[in-house]
Amino acid sequence: MAGTYSLSGKLALTVPLAIRGQPTLIIQRLRQAWRGVPIFSFVMLTGAILCALFAPLLAPYDPIKTNPVHALAAPSLSQHVLGTDHLGRDVLSRLIYGARISITIGFLAVFVAGSLGVLIAVVSGVYKGWIDRILMRVTDAFLALPYLMIAVTVISILKPSMLNVILVIGLLRWMDYARVLRGEVLRLSETDFVRLAVVAGCTQRQIIMRHIFPNIVNTLLVLTSLGVGAGVIAEASLSFLGLGVPRPLPSWGTMLAESQKYLYTAWWLPLIPGLTISLLVMSSNLMGDWLRDRLDPTRRQL
Amino acid sequence: MKLYMAKRLCEGAATIWIVTLVVFALLRITGNPVDFLAPPDMPWTDRAYLREAYGLDKPVWQQYLLFNKSLIRGDFGKSLRGNQDAALNVLLERVPATMQLTAAALLFSIVLGIGAGVVSAARPNSIYDRIGKVIAIAGQSMPVFWVGLLLILVFTVYLGWLPSAGGVDRLGLLGLIMPAISLGWLLVASHMRMVRSSVLDVLDADYIKMAHVKGLPWRLVLWKHALKNAAIPVFTLFAVNFAHLVSGAVVTETIFAWPGIGRLLVESILARDYAVVQTVVFFAAMVIVVVNILVDLMYAWLDPRIRVAG
Repeated sequence: MAGTYSLSGKLALTVPLAIRGQPTLIIQRLRQAWRGVPIFSFVMLTGAILCALFAPLLAPYDPIKTNPVHALAAPSLSQHVLGTDHLGRDVLSRLIYGARISITIGFLAVFVAGSLGVLIAVVSGVYKGWIDRILMRVTDAFLALPYLMIAVTVISILKPSMLNVILVIGLLRWMDYARVLRGEVLRLSETDFVRLAVVAGCTQRQIIMRHIFPNIVNTLLVLTSLGVGAGVIAEASLSFLGLGVPRPLPSWGTMLAESQKYLYTAWWLPLIPGLTISLLVMSSNLMGDWLRDRLDPTRRQL
Repeated sequence: MKLYMAKRLCEGAATIWIVTLVVFALLRITGNPVDFLAPPDMPWTDRAYLREAYGLDKPVWQQYLLFNKSLIRGDFGKSLRGNQDAALNVLLERVPATMQLTAAALLFSIVLGIGAGVVSAARPNSIYDRIGKVIAIAGQSMPVFWVGLLLILVFTVYLGWLPSAGGVDRLGLLGLIMPAISLGWLLVASHMRMVRSSVLDVLDADYIKMAHVKGLPWRLVLWKHALKNAAIPVFTLFAVNFAHLVSGAVVTETIFAWPGIGRLLVESILARDYAVVQTVVFFAAMVIVVVNILVDLMYAWLDPRIRVAG
């Protein structure tokens, strides 16, 4: 087969060169690229992102408005599909608005962590020597930090807010990116095409931006996908402890924390937000697994 | 070996130093620690006095030297609550409860992880393997606190079998079951995957085939020969996970009102008792670093190649 192995950082496809640009074959090509995509994950993630974007349109009630008359109403098809909480707030609406918080924090925390990790990996892998050694020692030290404890402490000092949660999760979670990507950068910097680029007179900036970075995008994508799930759990844990997003914003973690007092009367309060978190995290993990297999067939599944 | 040991110890010390730096920086960059320590209605003159007493009127580098000096002496400051006990003693009182919880959680995850891992590795792609995979995926996705809430919902609220809050001293071993499962649940997945892949690796080896050929029952080959040889990486993971459980117990201890250091941390944060907060964070970091060093040394002792390469 007239295959091309794309090094450009996009999905590596095996497609005859001649068919590029023909509409029906583009569809075929797309279908091939998406082969085996975990449908469930894809639907869940898209659904969550849509909920986050269009929360005001989708939510049947105001997520913050209390309605004591209808407090702790059980799920019913006629009024509150997923019931109400102890203040009479609609659980479904809070869940939909909560997607906003979880998705925003999950993605932005990963963005912070990923950026810092890529920066450290590239500096470490390109400059090598003592810079590399110091940066890797710092990375190891961060890996040995009691992550949740420090997060809780820092946020309690800085005051809980969305921005602080994003920064704290991001700044405590960059080590995986730094370590894994540094290995890739080191390997790449020994390859012939990078050496030839040096010979051809490329500046360091060009080499990093055009030759090294595009080749670590695949790995970065996999780590990111796995990281979103971890970010969502971290946000929920902090909110659960009362140190995440401040009330009355409807974070899923906060909803679970509030449900603790009503375990005897309202089973849907602990069940529904927890299930939502788990399904979203599971989707992100499965997506990451799929991307890993898809982008790097040589990798064995551990 | 001695050189390797010295190197690892230095690295461990460097890590601890970074932790102290982080804590120091945190308590300083965010403003004046006195403002956190002092009650809001404390008069201005008292604040000034406190600032002087804590050495906060000095330049930052001098403060940092002082901070390190008291750390080396093991002086972590005094708790604000109760009878102003030393923060270290407040911490040490709570350590046994956390150790009980983490040990039980680890035991749970090891037993389940090894069992499920070996069974899945013995017959890859069988129904058992698939069930194991589902458990692993579910385990990684469910937040610890939700597992805890579900357990309470089922076993306390509906079945009424187990108490939902406690500590071994108050409730005995019965109260340990649910906290241990909820904390250990997260690790079942990682232990299972690790056991599965290590055993699969070992099963390829010639001595396994030999044992099989010479007529040993498959059960014995699998659980004795294969598992023993797969044990090193697996054991490493157990130890490293144990260290992280100590710090990860914050949420579980909060749900089950478990009187350990995680609960202490949250209580102290709410009470703005930052001397204790700082001590707890140090302690957890210490546990992680010490366990990591021990694991590395043990690894080097078992496998000479690491000594040379490291």
